[in-house]
Amino acid sequence: MSYRIDELMICRIAREVDDSGVTVLGSFTPLAYASYMLAKMTHAPDAPLIGYNAIGMRPVELSLTGAEAAAYKGAAAHWTFIENTQTVHLGGRGLVECVSPAQMDGTGAFNTSVIGDYDRPKVRLPGGTGSPEVVQNYEKIIAYFGTHSKRTLVEKVDFATGGRYPVSPEARRERGLLVGPVRIITPLAVLIKEHDNEDFRIETLHPGIAVSEVVENTGFALTVPEDIPTTEVPSEEQLDLLRNLIDPFGTSQFDFLDSRARASYIDDILRREWDRAEALPDE
Amino acid sequence: MTRNKVVPLDQLSEWIPDGSLVGLGGAWLSNHPMAAVRQLVRDGRQGLHFAETMGSMDIDLLVGAEVASAVTFSMVSLEAFGLPPHFRRAVENGEITITELTGLALNTAFEAASRNIPFLPMASLGLSEVPKRQPNWYASIKDPFGGGDLLAIKALTPDVALLHVRRASPNGDCQYDGPMAIDPEMSRAARRLVVTAEEIVSQDVIEANPHMTKIPGFLVDAVIEAPFGAHPLTHVPCYGLDAWELRDYAAAANDRAAWPAYLERLRTETEEDYRARVLPPERARVVRNLARAGRALEVSAS
Repeated sequence: MSYRIDELMICRIAREVDDSGVTVLGSFTPLAYASYMLAKMTHAPDAPLIGYNAIGMRPVELSLTGAEAAAYKGAAAHWTFIENTQTVHLGGRGLVECVSPAQMDGTGAFNTSVIGDYDRPKVRLPGGTGSPEVVQNYEKIIAYFGTHSKRTLVEKVDFATGGRYPVSPEARRERGLLVGPVRIITPLAVLIKEHDNEDFRIETLHPGIAVSEVVENTGFALTVPEDIPTTEVPSEEQLDLLRNLIDPFGTSQFDFLDSRARASYIDDILRREWDRAEALPDE
Repeated sequence: MTRNKVVPLDQLSEWIPDGSLVGLGGAWLSNHPMAAVRQLVRDGRQGLHFAETMGSMDIDLLVGAEVASAVTFSMVSLEAFGLPPHFRRAVENGEITITELTGLALNTAFEAASRNIPFLPMASLGLSEVPKRQPNWYASIKDPFGGGDLLAIKALTPDVALLHVRRASPNGDCQYDGPMAIDPEMSRAARRLVVTAEEIVSQDVIEANPHMTKIPGFLVDAVIEAPFGAHPLTHVPCYGLDAWELRDYAAAANDRAAWPAYLERLRTETEEDYRARVLPPERARVVRNLARAGRALEVSAS
């Protein structure tokens, strides 16, 4: 079955989720949300999942207007964000989290704050919310990008909103931090950083992508192994779950559209969500 | 007899002296005290300082109406609906003072305030440049018991917090049945607390489900009834996101020519007028149904 690139990325991220730690829905990262739901619907039904104040939530159908409400329909508990973040993020129980920054560089520093000078920015971005703490403390970190270019994977970020340090396992163990790598996943490849004194390495290439395409579009140095495996493609079962149950409105395509395409895409999703809500019989 | 703290929405400003630092509840596109925000706009307030971990339309509207002159935050975003137009423009043009903190540090700052201590320690933040940028809020300290480096996060005490709750009694006992962000902690950090509630209920209703009471009345100074008080943002389980109204807002906020009329209408209508205009019965029904329409899925291991 043919698949979209966002679907391949979702399936790759989903592999990182299991029941050995807690996964939390962060700020608007629809691709990541789809990954977490897919993991729970396939290999990791017992993976503890948190969304908003809903602890131990069931997987939910993604939407723009009702996913939050759905998260409360199967929750085991309601905690405040401070109870949640002190327990999971700062308490050493966080397994995998995705960030979707504007820029990342070869040190693993990421930028969700500004393009340009910090004090008089060309573009003021939303800011990082808890991502600096998450990236520092979780076991596995994945930064995902809708485009792989020297504008997103930069030589040096304009501002380091956050970034994991140290990365090396020994140094993390010494400080009582969970041990795990920093990955970058893009429409071209998966990159991985496992040691502070080593560059990101190309871990896998997506089908049909050449090494040169990755290297030429990356603003920082990469380690290029001799043999690079191909990223696993989505199975029919995964695609069926994503398209029919988890993300029937297609919210995961958001990061892959330019601003004009986004507007009509949101129009379309909202029309379908409105129609469904309008048709609901009164309680 | 319990105290009756119920006041009308148009008395909100009496609780917020000029120059106040105002903490706002809610997070992302969820449960911000929008009726209270609209009232501050109606009252023509200026020069207030707002603090909130994850702001969205609330902060943007307060900046666009020139109510806010300073914002302490870790995120301000309209998520799928774009960058917050007024907040972005005001920061890029240097029109407001901002203090950007990392999210859990800001929460920790509220937590320290609630405990009446000057700071709380937190683990260090790797490559983040935020602590260096904000030396008034982060300081490097040594573990006094012989461990490594830590960050001290200074307490942040709002003069007043504004929160929106599912239901409250006249005495101020507040219940949530869905998202509550850090509202319970914010309620303990602020010197004064004003809540808006979807509905005001008798004490019997509160006592029937005390486990839902996240803010006890002794913390609360005033209670305001405000149905659809988080609209156009969500208040689960009562209503989902009125994305259509949020998009209309973003369009007006992005359009220099359209914004003055949008603001003037908001300033000259009451909250009842607002609901009548924006939420006619069929629209209100759909917005409520959005919260019911979202589906939780059955897990079945394959």
